[in-house]
Amino acid sequence: MSEVLSVKDLKKNYGRFEALKGISFEVKDKEIFALIGPNGAGKTTTLRLIATILQPTSGIVKVAGLDIKEDAEKVREAISYLPEEAGVYKNLTGEYYLRFMAALFSGDKKEQAAYLETARAIANLGERLGNKIGTYSKGMTRKLLLARALMTKPKLAILDEPTSGLDVINALEIRNTIREFARTGTSVLLSSHNMLEIEYLSDRVAIIDKGTIHDIGTSDELKAKYDSANLEEVFAEVAR
Amino acid sequence: MRKFFVLVRKEIRELLTPQTIIPLFFTVLLFLFMGQVIGAEGEKMSARQSISVLDLDVTPASEAIPTVLEQANLKVELYHDASVDAVIETTKKARGTVVLVLPEGFEKDLAASKLPQIEAYNILSGFSFARLQAGVTGVALASINESLSNKVLSSVAPGTDPQILKNPIKVKEHVIVGDKMAVTSLAEVTGFVMAQTTFIPIILFIVIILAATMIATAIATEKENKTLETLLSAPVRRTTLVLAKMFAAGMFALVAAVVYLFSFRYYMESVTGGALTGAGGAAMSQAIRELGLVLNPAGYTLLGVSLFFSILCALVIAVTLGAFAEDVKSVQALITPLMIMILIPYVLAMFLDINTVSPVLRYVVLAIPFSHSFLAAPNLFFGDYRAVLYGIAYEIAFFAVFLYIAGRLFSSDKILTMKLRIKKRPVLK
Repeated sequence: MSEVLSVKDLKKNYGRFEALKGISFEVKDKEIFALIGPNGAGKTTTLRLIATILQPTSGIVKVAGLDIKEDAEKVREAISYLPEEAGVYKNLTGEYYLRFMAALFSGDKKEQAAYLETARAIANLGERLGNKIGTYSKGMTRKLLLARALMTKPKLAILDEPTSGLDVINALEIRNTIREFARTGTSVLLSSHNMLEIEYLSDRVAIIDKGTIHDIGTSDELKAKYDSANLEEVFAEVAR
Repeated sequence: MRKFFVLVRKEIRELLTPQTIIPLFFTVLLFLFMGQVIGAEGEKMSARQSISVLDLDVTPASEAIPTVLEQANLKVELYHDASVDAVIETTKKARGTVVLVLPEGFEKDLAASKLPQIEAYNILSGFSFARLQAGVTGVALASINESLSNKVLSSVAPGTDPQILKNPIKVKEHVIVGDKMAVTSLAEVTGFVMAQTTFIPIILFIVIILAATMIATAIATEKENKTLETLLSAPVRRTTLVLAKMFAAGMFALVAAVVYLFSFRYYMESVTGGALTGAGGAAMSQAIRELGLVLNPAGYTLLGVSLFFSILCALVIAVTLGAFAEDVKSVQALITPLMIMILIPYVLAMFLDINTVSPVLRYVVLAIPFSHSFLAAPNLFFGDYRAVLYGIAYEIAFFAVFLYIAGRLFSSDKILTMKLRIKKRPVLK
């Protein structure tokens, strides 16, 4: 499998604080790659750097062969980013929001229509798409945002805590959608605190803490390596 | 450009909410209502006012007074053989406001060149009409004095017009502007020009404050709602994001300004009773044209360009300040420096001539880009096009520098990491 994302010795400082101390990993085509770690480990900083909304202090990050510093605008065409607890424009309708985002990604009407069709299928909100987003429940909003993130069928979807705060049914629907999209060609880089979710979704996992990646492997490889029954125990072992 | 308009449409759609439209609508209604009320009051003031006169002398001299008052457009209620208190009571009941008492011996005192004392009673029932009431008393007493002095002067110098004795000189006042001259009074010229240009600083002030608040709030809301991160990761140039927000806020502010302008003009016309557009206005316009104190198309264009860049300067400063905001609550505090920057030239332009103040103060004022818009109209009236062009050049340079700063800010981490939280200091116990 070819690489969609390549991260080499990535460092990020906020003033004197070293948020990332030189991390390296890659995400392959159609792969779901997860970053797990405690709060403040550097997960969101990593995702924001790859999403081109933060500037790296040093290191090389390439998305589909494009450097995030030199080709930031082209990188943005190849990715989509779903921030943790991402907000919405409460005064816009779901339909208008999707149209607006589709128009930012393509000037071609047919392509925009295809994006919208995909988004409607993912969001599965029916008539409610015509209502203002401010009237949506948390689950509906998250599904709308996931639909927005995946509708362009990006080469790399960067999802920060995609099911955070959702009930079991909504979380399950979102996980299924992510898996389905990975199968059809979108690579996924996600972060989560939910180890069960990671185990269910991810092809490979990186354990990150205090700005350093401690280990990378499949769930089974990591469980075997640390002689643990599940990823939670692996995580606790590595973090110790 | 396509993405720019996509973003502008979204910004405008977000701005068009009941929260933004209702205050605009309410302000217009308020101006219209105030215009109606004040206009009605104005009509009352210009209507014939009534005055009660108690004649205790009943002589030809005292009996001539009501006629004098009628000639002064006052409606006279005449009383004889009544007490002062009774007349006051009757006047009160009739909602009258002024009672004049012509004392016994009025004619005798006049003949003896003694000063007869007329008593004036002002019945105060509220302060809103106090000015109107004072006007009635003033008119009544002035017209009595005028009539009596004319009689005295006619008896002292028969055959001579009393007006010549009272005002032995005639004044023909000229106003010179540059190499042009017109026969008119300076007070009238300045009053007319001020009335014609008053709306410029007011509207500019409203537009700038409104647009700046809107754009800073829009950015703070994007940060607070965490929609900015999504937008920053979309394939759009950061300067396009900034410009689209500025354009949308500017357009909305401009529409609001036009609406305010029309309602404000309606209000002003109601207050002045159409003096600006009436016959007096037409006569003044002639003098103003002779003096060249009118804006030609080039002048209007330059004024428009200056106002346009002033608004752009305010927007770009607001974008930069908005980037510091962590949430919507902090916006008001953040745009305070901008408001002060606008207030300084606004207030100074009203009370001082910027060209004659101390050099330090002048340069401080001229460093504020909005000053050039406030000064543009007077400079154009006096044909100082060079000053206006320099002002526009300065505004453009200021805008370019701040646009670069805003673009850099939105392209860097700072747009997400830079925060200014307005906290209350803990109270020490």
